[in-house]
Amino acid sequence: MVIDDSRAMRMILKRIVAKLNFDAVEAGDGQEALDLLATMTEVPELALIDWNMPNMNGLEFVTKVRAEPRLREMTLVMVTTESEQSQIVRALAAGAHEYVIKPFTEGAMIEKLALLGLVPTGANS
Amino acid sequence: MSEPVVTEGDLAEMVEQVWVSYLDPEGVSPLVQNGEVKQPTEVHSTVSITGSWHGHLVYASSVQAATRAAAAFLAMEPDEVGQEDISDVLGELANIVGGNVKAMLPAGCFLSLPTVVLAPDTASYYPAAERISGLYGTWAGEPVSISMWQSVKQEASA
Repeated sequence: MVIDDSRAMRMILKRIVAKLNFDAVEAGDGQEALDLLATMTEVPELALIDWNMPNMNGLEFVTKVRAEPRLREMTLVMVTTESEQSQIVRALAAGAHEYVIKPFTEGAMIEKLALLGLVPTGANS
Repeated sequence: MSEPVVTEGDLAEMVEQVWVSYLDPEGVSPLVQNGEVKQPTEVHSTVSITGSWHGHLVYASSVQAATRAAAAFLAMEPDEVGQEDISDVLGELANIVGGNVKAMLPAGCFLSLPTVVLAPDTASYYPAAERISGLYGTWAGEPVSISMWQSVKQEASA
């Protein structure tokens, strides 16, 4: 699942995960993502989440997902321009598994996902 | 005059990362700096910063450079790019640079969502702000700039 209010960024992230054989669904903010998850019988394995979005931001989304037992197996990766150490700590404390700072290269993103065990190590090469 | 909180060198470093990540991954078409502050631009994407520092980050370019950026970002041909694509991509570019700029400012700053307009003359949008730093150049011969503007009111009250 790709959650970002920028359609351009959603397209980039979808391109990357498609190369890793993920079927991605997308949402433009945290609330839209929660609404979409409520309709899904199968919970996505991975969510790539922007921080600054209208309606519901990424941090609020992470907090809500972590409070929902049905969604606890989702791997949550923040993908954001929020690069201050304090913000990274907040996101990880709320339940995000990893943190990717924009701008990122395709290779850097794949490496992060490999570290999480979501793609084979070396998928980048 | 004290050095700005975000220097031209800082902006250049961020811009290089953006180019490598999204606009020129092959490294064949970098932004070439020319220092021309008054070069004409027609597309302006802005994020505002509030909180402990007040100002704006503006990404400006010609329509041709904006189209090229959208095409690169979205993996499209330039003739397939529409106005919505330009707006979305330039908004994201300002957001990315602005977010990284925010990390260099005093703690307690907040970043707005981006605003993109097609109109000349950046300064007219922020009459109460002054430019403190900027990167000016061309990309494939088309003008591109990234500039930082600080609220004048804040300076006066400091």
